[in-house]
Amino acid sequence: MAESPAARIWIGRAVFLALATAVIFIQLLPLDTAPPSWAAPDLLLAISLAWVARRPEFLPFIVVFAVFLLTDLLFQRPPGLWAALVVVLTETVRSRSRGLRNVPLALEWGTVAFGIVAITLVNRLVLAIMLTPQAPLTLTLIQMVMTIMIYPVVVLVAQVLFGLTRPAPGQVDSLGHRL
Amino acid sequence: MARDRNTHDDFIAPIRRLLVGVGVVLLLGIFLVWRIDSPRVERFRAAVIDRIVPSFDWAMAPVTGAVELVDDFRSYSALSEQNANLRRELQQMKAWKEAALQLEQENARLLELNNVRLDPQLTYITGVVMTDSGSPFRQSVLLNVGHRDGIVDGWPAMDGIGLVGRISGVGRSTSRVILLTDTSSRIPVTIQPSGQKAILAGDNTLNPPLEFLENADAVRPGDRVVSSGDGGVFPADLLIGQVALGSDRRLRVRLAADYGRLEFLRILRAHAHEDISDPGGLLIPEETLIGPLLPQSAQVGSDG
Repeated sequence: MAESPAARIWIGRAVFLALATAVIFIQLLPLDTAPPSWAAPDLLLAISLAWVARRPEFLPFIVVFAVFLLTDLLFQRPPGLWAALVVVLTETVRSRSRGLRNVPLALEWGTVAFGIVAITLVNRLVLAIMLTPQAPLTLTLIQMVMTIMIYPVVVLVAQVLFGLTRPAPGQVDSLGHRL
Repeated sequence: MARDRNTHDDFIAPIRRLLVGVGVVLLLGIFLVWRIDSPRVERFRAAVIDRIVPSFDWAMAPVTGAVELVDDFRSYSALSEQNANLRRELQQMKAWKEAALQLEQENARLLELNNVRLDPQLTYITGVVMTDSGSPFRQSVLLNVGHRDGIVDGWPAMDGIGLVGRISGVGRSTSRVILLTDTSSRIPVTIQPSGQKAILAGDNTLNPPLEFLENADAVRPGDRVVSSGDGGVFPADLLIGQVALGSDRRLRVRLAADYGRLEFLRILRAHAHEDISDPGGLLIPEETLIGPLLPQSAQVGSDG
């Protein structure tokens, strides 16, 4: 890599923001206004988890906060709840990211899948307690499973296209700190 | 942790944790405020969308156009077949048109004879669909007309044929239409010709079910469903669709509007019903007090 590690961090952040914008944009396109019988995966969540599990420094907390609060508002979700759950999940994965570095992909996938299931259930539970109108359960479950299934694909694509690799042992940043 | 931390990291970590904590509390706070005082937060949401979505618009229109072009191209393959069908339908339509014209003239004559005043014609504003809700769980679209164009919350939206939904959330230059298929949509309807009243309750499927139907035996699949105007929610007699029997044996409505492709929507200027609240001053004297009448002697005394 020709760029210095500091530049790489900023490129990584910019790539995430560009991807997030693209995903939001595509989801908002009014291509089919008939209600779907199945739900597409929550690509934004899968991308954020892949980024935070592999290169947590590319995805600062404030970006997760801003992007998910914005999508809560744009996608007509109850504002704040899903964003809070995603922030909690990404922070949990972030704190484990050092341990996730050396494990096989299947274990990383399992951890992430567990997290996705947990926040989906908590989300439904809180909405039920708050007596908020909810989406059909089957759609939510379909989306949850699809998000879990898409995760390895996102990891693969991120690795091939955007060079989102796990830090190698002993890799240092521009100031000589170990990653 | 095994790695040696330098002082810089130790200084940052607690502040970071605090920041995350504050962030999560803030988000949960927004959620609670939304649950308690929904209209205010929804207004905020409308304002945010109003700022952000129009800035996407330059890119959205061509992409949507391109995708639809591909869809259209696919349908060209069935063009000759479609053409034949259309020609046959056109023949039938011509007969109907003749009948309709005669009926319209007859109707106008009769109305003139009886001096009947029907509802004034509804006027409308047409808006272009900018985005959909972006989520498979909510059925709504965003239009490019808003407060600036005089849109008011609650006005009905139609495509060329049938009712599509109602305005819910108006920004300065955008407004959101909650479609009839959304889980939070409830519309009072009348089923013609039996005149049964029911509620059309969206459930995130293309054919929403009818609820609170008084006598389901009086309703047959194929009956017309129109808005009833009850509760002042909508003007009466807007076409919604036809009754159909769902695979789960529930009565559902096959919507007349083409939900597969909503491009332009008409927002009807629906004015609120005027309520007649006072009993008419000339006929009945206004009652001031409820209670026993003043004794006769006292009335005489005050007169004299």
